[in-house]
Amino acid sequence: MLNELKELWRFRGLLWQLVRRDLKVRYKNSRLGFLWSIAPPLMQVACITFAFRYATDFAAKFNNYSAFVLVAMIPWTYFQTAILDSSQSILLMYGVIKKVYLPREIIPLSNAISNFIHFLLSWLVFFVFLWGYLRAPILPTVIWFPYLVLVQFMLVTGLSLLVSALNVFYEDVKYIVSILLGLFLFLLPIMYIVEQVIYTSNLGRWAGGWGAYIYMLNPLTALINGFRKALLEPPHPDVIKGGEYLPLDPNSLLLSGVLSFCILVFGYWYFNKRKWQFVERP
Amino acid sequence: MAVRRASLIGNDRNAGDLFMTAPPDAPPGGWAIEIEELRKTFVLQHRQAGTLKRAVLNYFRRYPRETREVLRGVTLRIPHGETIALIGRNGSGKSTLLSLIARVYKPTSGRVVVNGSVAPLLELGAGFHPDLTGIENIELYGAILGLTRKTLQERFDSIVSFAFDRPDLLEKIDTPLRNYSEGMKMRLGFSVAIHTDPEILIVDEVLAVGDEAFQHKCYRKIEEFQREGRTIVFVSHDMHVVRQVATRVVWLHNGSIRMDGSVEEVVNAYVNAADSEAEEQQRA
Repeated sequence: MLNELKELWRFRGLLWQLVRRDLKVRYKNSRLGFLWSIAPPLMQVACITFAFRYATDFAAKFNNYSAFVLVAMIPWTYFQTAILDSSQSILLMYGVIKKVYLPREIIPLSNAISNFIHFLLSWLVFFVFLWGYLRAPILPTVIWFPYLVLVQFMLVTGLSLLVSALNVFYEDVKYIVSILLGLFLFLLPIMYIVEQVIYTSNLGRWAGGWGAYIYMLNPLTALINGFRKALLEPPHPDVIKGGEYLPLDPNSLLLSGVLSFCILVFGYWYFNKRKWQFVERP
Repeated sequence: MAVRRASLIGNDRNAGDLFMTAPPDAPPGGWAIEIEELRKTFVLQHRQAGTLKRAVLNYFRRYPRETREVLRGVTLRIPHGETIALIGRNGSGKSTLLSLIARVYKPTSGRVVVNGSVAPLLELGAGFHPDLTGIENIELYGAILGLTRKTLQERFDSIVSFAFDRPDLLEKIDTPLRNYSEGMKMRLGFSVAIHTDPEILIVDEVLAVGDEAFQHKCYRKIEEFQREGRTIVFVSHDMHVVRQVATRVVWLHNGSIRMDGSVEEVVNAYVNAADSEAEEQQRA
């Protein structure tokens, strides 16, 4: 694996060029450019806020429900677009890898990195909204922010490597992935908060309280929960019945960091195992 | 150069053994490319591309996987400074051999050792993006061929002036590549590839591109490469070009070397064989 990493380092110039290409090409022929990255999550948040504010009284219990959803929607959008893009990434470069030698992992990596840059820019927009427009206080827990961003990058990159390699051999993977991603919008604490699952639901009580642990084991759940708690103040206590709003939990974040790192290593290992078979797929 | 009969007709599988018994001494500069007992097998799938359904079914039914041996034990040693032409009819394994030298494929068995930097011209402009400008594509394609940012910047002007030697071509350099003609894309691809300053050039049928004037320029560049002692391995079906450019010819037939030797000798043998094959087909 060390040799593979050395080879990757030798080709870092190409990695950078491919990231630049992705960033340039994505919105090259559109007038609004980067706005197309931030527009879909904003529109989704607006619709979710509409539904929960006017169809239920749920949203009214938050100081600003839109901010609560948006802080989760940004990591979710990054996760979703990066994984979906990666599923097609190798096949889009198939003509090149059949004709030129290059470390194949550069392709999903450049994809993950260019999406990561969009992710960072989206946070910038969010911070302007949160601290500039809403005038929310900057919490001390914000020091967790760089850690959370890094862990999510590891998670997304690991899964990108896995999905991109699998999709070369089984093109069903991209369909499976897009269906799963559609479902996770509801399974992850995006429109609601984790305390509602832990205290209010049967899932939280299931198996003597282990249901809640299992729910929190998903690194992305822990990350979204972490982003929310690092950046936003607690909501009105009425939101949670039968429990309290939990503070940011370092243990859960460290666990998701370890899990994400394991996923990255596994994804890289699997990719390297299969990468020479890409050009020979029957 | 003496003719080295690497294989006997009808005894192709043992082709490499003749060499293994008496490996030739390395030339003073060392070998540019050493290929030993190289075999390459591909899996054939007749019905459909890989899907999960098929994978699951195959797993349970244990279909025997049909394979095709494209290279059957090729042994070839190329010293620095030689220009090798690979000839042979379609499907004889020429392009696969080039791809293996360019490290696009991994050998099934045997080995390929390449000593020196390689520029693979298997397809010019592999990786060009139609929405990027000429300048941006030079940077991208240069990086794909392994140029660092710094070297690319140093050679940038030279790349541009080689490809676009007329002012009417030059004015398109900062427009998207989709506005380029095929010929202009080829010029750009050739120019970038040639400027990677390779010790070994791997070429598949694209020795010269573009219009008459640019083709002349390409051949002059190839000659310059030869004078500088660089190694060239190319595939061609144009015997005129082979006679003009090559210093040694290797004839591949059904995945093994049928003949390896001086240009005239191998080309004549190949042309005679092709002629008699055509005659037979006509009679049948």
